[in-house]
Formats: sequence, C-alpha cells, structure tokens
Amino acid sequence: MSPLGDLFDRSVKARALAYLYASGAIVGLLSLILPHAEGVKEGPLVGLATAALAIGAVIYWRARGVTEWHLHALVVTGTLMLTLANYWFGPTALYAMMFSWAALYAFYFFDLRHALAHLALIGVSYALLLVLADHPSPATRWLLAIGTPAIAGLLISRLLTRLRAEAIKGEQRAGELRQTEARTRLVLDSAPDAFVTLDRDGIITTWNAAAERMFGWSTPEAIGRPFRSLIIAPEFRDLHDERRRELIEAKGTVTGRLFEIEAQRRDGTRFPAEATVSKVVESGDVYLPGFIRDISERRRREDEREALLREQAARAEAERVAEMVSGMQLLVDAALAHRTLGDIVADLVTRVRGVLRADTALIYLRQEDGSMKVVARAGPERDGADDPMGTADDFANRVAESREPLLLEGEDSVIGVPLMAEGDVTGVLLVRASEPRRFGSEDLGLLRLTADRVALGIDQARVYEREHRIAETLQRSLLPERLPQLPGLGVAARYLPAAAEAEVGGDWYDVIPIPGGEVGLVMGDVAGKGLAAASMVGQLRSALRAYAMEGHPPQRVLEQLNRLVWTEMGESEMATLLFLVLDPADGAVRWVNAGHLPPLLVVGDRLAHFMEGGRSVPLGVMPFPTFEEVTSQLDPGGTVVLYTDGLVERPGDHIDNGLARLAGAVRDAPADPEQLCDHMLRTLVPEGAAPDDVALLALQNVPMADRFSAEFPTEPHALASMRSLLRRWLRHAHGTDQEIAEITTACGEAATNAIEHAGSSSGIPFEVVGQLEGREIDIIVRDYGAWRAPRSGDQGRGLSLIEALMDEVEVSPTPEGTSIRMRRTLNGEAP
Amino acid sequence: MRSDLVDMKVEQRGEVVVARVTGELDLASAPRAGEEIEAAVPPSARGLVVDFSELDFIDSSGIAMLFTLARRLGGRRQELRVVTSPGEPVSRVLDLVEFGRAAPLHADLDSAVAEIA
Repeated sequence: MSPLGDLFDRSVKARALAYLYASGAIVGLLSLILPHAEGVKEGPLVGLATAALAIGAVIYWRARGVTEWHLHALVVTGTLMLTLANYWFGPTALYAMMFSWAALYAFYFFDLRHALAHLALIGVSYALLLVLADHPSPATRWLLAIGTPAIAGLLISRLLTRLRAEAIKGEQRAGELRQTEARTRLVLDSAPDAFVTLDRDGIITTWNAAAERMFGWSTPEAIGRPFRSLIIAPEFRDLHDERRRELIEAKGTVTGRLFEIEAQRRDGTRFPAEATVSKVVESGDVYLPGFIRDISERRRREDEREALLREQAARAEAERVAEMVSGMQLLVDAALAHRTLGDIVADLVTRVRGVLRADTALIYLRQEDGSMKVVARAGPERDGADDPMGTADDFANRVAESREPLLLEGEDSVIGVPLMAEGDVTGVLLVRASEPRRFGSEDLGLLRLTADRVALGIDQARVYEREHRIAETLQRSLLPERLPQLPGLGVAARYLPAAAEAEVGGDWYDVIPIPGGEVGLVMGDVAGKGLAAASMVGQLRSALRAYAMEGHPPQRVLEQLNRLVWTEMGESEMATLLFLVLDPADGAVRWVNAGHLPPLLVVGDRLAHFMEGGRSVPLGVMPFPTFEEVTSQLDPGGTVVLYTDGLVERPGDHIDNGLARLAGAVRDAPADPEQLCDHMLRTLVPEGAAPDDVALLALQNVPMADRFSAEFPTEPHALASMRSLLRRWLRHAHGTDQEIAEITTACGEAATNAIEHAGSSSGIPFEVVGQLEGREIDIIVRDYGAWRAPRSGDQGRGLSLIEALMDEVEVSPTPEGTSIRMRRTLNGEAP
Repeated sequence: MRSDLVDMKVEQRGEVVVARVTGELDLASAPRAGEEIEAAVPPSARGLVVDFSELDFIDSSGIAMLFTLARRLGGRRQELRVVTSPGEPVSRVLDLVEFGRAAPLHADLDSAVAEIA
C-alpha cells in the first residue's frame, strides 16, 4: 500500500519512468563522449543507450496504456540494463547514482514491499557488478553495493513518507471540504426554495435543484448566465437592475432583504415569487445569494381568502341592506299609519334618521306657492354659512329641480331624494351625516325606495287632509259656532269626530230661536261620509232654518225637508232627523222624529225616559211620508237630550244596551247642560272618541228664580222672546193674567225703545234684569244705543203706555245708553 | 197671511172687508201686517173691520199701525172699525191710548160690520 503512489495515475508514473530511461541513456552517452578510461566497450554501450532511449520513447508514447505490472517489469529491465552498462563501462560513481535513481523511483512510485523487492534486485546487481569488476575490498564492495542504494532509498523514502503524510492530510482536508461542499450542495438541493447566487454583474453562480425544478433550467445551463434575462419577466428587468445596483452599492453586508418578483419559467409561463436576498462580500468580491419562493399558491390562497372575505362582506352587506330595506318599509308603513300629515312626516324623519344613522333628516314639501318648505326635522339644524354645499334649502331645491337623487360628499355626507307623486316633485327627503359616517350608494338606494313609498303616502295624506279639512270646515261651519243665548233656557252641545274614521260624518245639530219666542232643536244624521254628506247637511240646515223661522209647525217643516232630500239628493240619499220645538213660555214641547233615535227627557228629579212617540221613516225614503207631531211638556228644571247613534251604538252590542247606558248616565248627571254633556261624554265615550261621530245636544228649561237677567239682540224678533221670558218669570211671581199682560206690555215698550235706539248699527244686545222683592216687581231695561227724545206720536205713545201700566218709571239717558227702570207692586200673596 | 207672530184672515162681507188678526202685534210684525191689511181693502169697499178679539198682544207698534190705517182709510172716505174683547189686554191697551178717538171700538164683529154696511 502506497498512498503516495495512489496520488499519481499510471500515465504519470510511466512518463516519469520514460524520463529515467532517457536520462540514463543520455548519461551513458555523455560518459562515452567525455574522457574516460581505456578499455571501455563503446559499441555495446551505444547500443544499450539507444535501446534505453527507444524504451523510454515507447513508454512515453504509450503511457496511457501502461499497467502497474508493466512498470515493475520496466524498472527490473532498467536495473538489469544499468548493471550491464556499468559492467561494460567499468566501475565508476555512475553505479551508485544510477542505481539510486532506480531505487528512488521504486520507493517513490511503488508501495514499500515492491520498492524493497526492487532494492533487493538493485543490491544483488550492484554486488554482482562489484564482484565482476574485482573491487579491491570485498567488505567495502558489499557495503557500497547494499548501503548506497539502501541509504539513499531509505532517506528518500522517509522524506517521501513525510511528504505523503502531509499529502494525506491535505487530501483528507480536501475530502472533508468536498464532503462539506457536497453536504451544502445536498442541503441546498433539498431546499424547497430555489437558491441562487449572483455575482456583481448579475451572473448566476449557484443554482440548486429547487431552482432547476422551479425554473426548468438545469444547473449547467443556468450557471454563467445573467439572472436578469433568464428569469425576470421582461417588464420587470429594469426594476431588477435597480434593486441589484442598490444592493451592491449598499455598505457592508445586507441580510435577508425581501423582494417580490415576477419570474418566468423556461417555458415562458410566469409566476409571482418572493426573493430573500443577502449581500455577501468575500475577498473583495460581491455575491448576492438569495432564496426564491414561488408564492403563486400563497397568492392564490390569499386571493381566495380575500374573495371569501369579500363575499362574506358582500353577503353581510346584502343582508344588512335587506334588513334596512325591510326595516325602512316597516318604519314607513308605521309612519304612514298616522292620521295627519304632520304626524306622518314627524315620525318619518325620526325613523329615517335612526335607520340611516344620520345626524339630521328633513322633509321638504312643496307649498301651494311652489316653494319648498321644511315640514319636519329630526336632529340638529346646521348653519349653512360654512357649508360647502350651501344651505339645506338650496340643496333641496337642486334635488327638486333635477328630479333625481343626489349624493353629496363635502364636509358632510348628504343625500337628497325627490318625493314624486304622479310625475311631480311634491317634496324632498334629505339626510345629512358628518364624519366619520359616510353615505354610500346603498344608502342612496334605500332612501330612494323610502322616498317612493313615502311620496305616495304623503300624497294620499295630503289629498285626504285637504278633503278632510274642507269637509271638516264645512261641517264645522254647519254646526252652530256658538249656541244662541236663550233667556230662561240652558243649552249645551258637543260634537266628537270619530276615532278612526278619516272622513267627516254626517252628524249635525242646530238650535234655532224661532220668532215668537219658541226654540227649535235639531239633531240629524245624514247617511254617508265626507264632502257629499257635509254638503247635504248644509242644505238641510239652511232649509230647516228657513222653514222654522217662517213659523211652520214641525210636521210641515219635515215634509218640506223630505221633499228636498227626495228630489234633490236622489234616491240613494237618506237622513234621519229629529225636530223639536219648545215654547219656553209654558214648557210645551212638540216634535217630529224622522227615523232618528228618540230624545231623552229628564225631569227635575233625574228620572229619564225616552220620548218614543212621533216616529216616522227617515227623510228621503218615501216621496210622501206621514210625519206625526207629538207633544209633551218640559217643565222648569227638566232637560231634553238629543243625540246621534254614535253616542249609544257600539260594534257587537245591541242598541238597547246603549240606550240603557245613556239613560243611566243621565240619571247621575248634573243639571247644568254643560256639565251634563261633559258627564255623559265621560261616561259613554271614556276613550275620548267613539267608533262613529258623536253629536249631543242638551236643553234645560231653567227654573225661574226671584231674580233674572237676560240679554237680547237689538232686533224686533227679540221682543217675543223677551215677552215669553217675562211671562214665565211673572208666573213664577204669581202675578195675575192681567198683571202679566200689563207688565209685559210695558217692558215690551221699553225694549222697543231700546231696539229703536240701537238703530241698525249696534250689535250690542240690550239687557233686561228683573227682581222680585216680596210683591214688588223691579225691572230694568238697559240699552247701549243713542237716546232719542220721543217724537210725537208713536214713540211717545210707548213711554206713556209704560207710565200708564207701571207704578213707577225712571228713564236715565246717558251717553253710553239708556236705562228704563219700572216698578210695580203685585196684588195677592207671595208664593 | 202667515207671519212669524201673527196670523191674518181676510174676508169680504158685502162691501165690508173683515181682517181677523190673531197672535201678537209688535215691532216685528205690525208694519207688515198693516201693509197687508191695507192692500186687502179695495177702493170699492165701504170700510174695514179689524177683528182683534183673538189677538193676544199689541204694543205701541200695533197701535201705530192702527192709527196709520185709520188715517189712510179716512183719506179714502172708508170706514174703520176695531173689534176687541173687553177686559182683555189688547182692549185695555187701546183704551189707554184712547184709540176710540180715531176709530170706534166694538165688542163684537157683527155689530161693527152692520154699522158700516
């Protein structure tokens, strides 16, 4: 075993041997040329040298085909040729030198065992040579023959061993290095990411297996080529150059800088990649090692995740919007459920503001003059001065003009949508939100939906309200605004519109002072609702007043009205009516009832009974019905109550129960008509509104007291009323018929005087005050007109009548008016 | 005639017109009643009898109406007679104003008509 020998391959060993042959031949030839001893056989020596040259040449030229055994044979051959040459030449220093070469070669190129074998052969040959040459000292001969090559060989061998050890160590180191490199290579190759090293110029110097797989270029193909053109996609190459330059110019080392690159494979396909690049400086050279990772999968996953998130967000958004839409519809419906426009818009803005999370919500409605006016607002008002969008009014007008929803992004986020009804912009719904709330297109869509729905609702509410207002105004105008003052009578009325009924009903009532002192009470109910019913009430009321004023009896009045309804209103129209006439003078009551509920009579001790008689068919049912007039008595202290069915009828309940409730309510009621009406409504309509309209009229025949005070209009018709009241009072005072007639005549003259003083201009009523003290009657008639001195004749006659009929008369004219005080003492006993 | 307060019935008895007035005569009713009565008397009639026997009330306005009527009829040379129920308020009022000086008062219709005719 010769590790040293293993260092060289056989061709090297063969060439070295060829040199030895050649140098031996040359030394032999030189020794013949140079001066030498006599007797040297020159011929054979030249032949031997030539042979050695030839062998050396052959070995040289055939060095590649030489085997180990050839070498051994050639060394042996050389040893024998040296022996022969030395024999022929004679013993000289050449022996030792040339044999030493052979030994050296053997030790150098063969393992120790073979080297020793060759040395043994050399020793034998040398010894044989010395014997043949007849060297003087045998001991010296042997010593020389063995010692010279042995020592030379051993020294050389020792030297070589040391060299060999170092060589082995070097080889081991190299092996280890190779191993490390291989291991590194292995590690790099097994890395999942491509590992590439570029030099200063961007040329690829390292390329691992992953890089091969990733890019499709094998290591030999990749090494030495510019990374730029091999891998980087064309449009990113400039960017790559820039990054590379930046890295190289950076000071010192750089570790792990991350880049995203667009890479392309050998087949031209592309993929996104992430490169982690460092900069290494080694002995002045700059290297850029880097790992490259294909991130297309990651990208895909990211994209997928992003898409998923987007989808989830979109779904959530869609659900939110759907929720908002349904919520908005609910709120709009809820808002539209209100009865009045004002309530609707007020509720709407509050709800819209909540749903859209807006700061402010406004509703503009077009007014009759064409302008847009805020009718409802929720949230704070904003000063328009610093507002880039201008005032809310301007914006609303812009929306109304454009007829399209507008979304404005200024300092605030503002949406305005027009409210459209039958192609016209009837209003604008406007919402505003400040940072960070921003309205989006879905808010716009939502508001648009809302606006469409709201517009319809508002339009309907407006139309309805207009109609309702007209009908209500009409009806209110048909109901007495103020009940007439009825001396000696107390009268009160109530009208309650239906709770849920949008339209005005046909209930009506009237109190008519009939010239002559009687009082007419009317309670009616026209079938139907709304304007038609209200207008019919109007006609009935006018006609009834006209007939009643003319003094027609109730029966006749109703016949006239029936004709009116029958002819004017058409067959489908129908009205119930109760017309009752009271003569306050004697409490006589007569009435006709055309299909209406019976009036309720309450006598002084709170006993109530229905005035059932005199019932006929409603007006407008037959062309010539018979109306029956019935009479009764309303004594002082008694009350008559007229009403419509709304007061007593309840859904699902029999009318008799309602009438019973009514009678019960009256029994506990106070006597005063106002209080009585309040009490009855509280008891019978505790909710404040009934399912149907309620009309209620109560008239009390107020019991007379010793003192009375009454006002009368300064009209001739008032005289009869005054006389009527006076007669009642005088009866209360137990005056005789003659006394009553005379006092009444006297007071009539005073009242006539007062009426004439007032002329046609004054609307101030005149006043009559009566006082009974024992049997003493004291009456004052006071007017507020201009006193006129009695002219001769008629007026003067009045005053003289008074003086004739009364015990004492006192006329006091003042700038404010005139009062006439009259006294008379009644005959008989006090009651 | 049908008015607020008074009711009037006019009949012809030969050449005499009889106007029977019921109800109450005051400022509100008297002027119109007077016009209607006057219009009911044709120029050919010898006279007029106003029957107040069923009249419930009369005041200075009614009396003024009667005086006017008396004056007009006198101008046409037509007689006027007034019938009242004695003791009734109307009769008392007419007495108080001494209407008898303008036209004779009668207690019954027939005697009044007979006196003219």
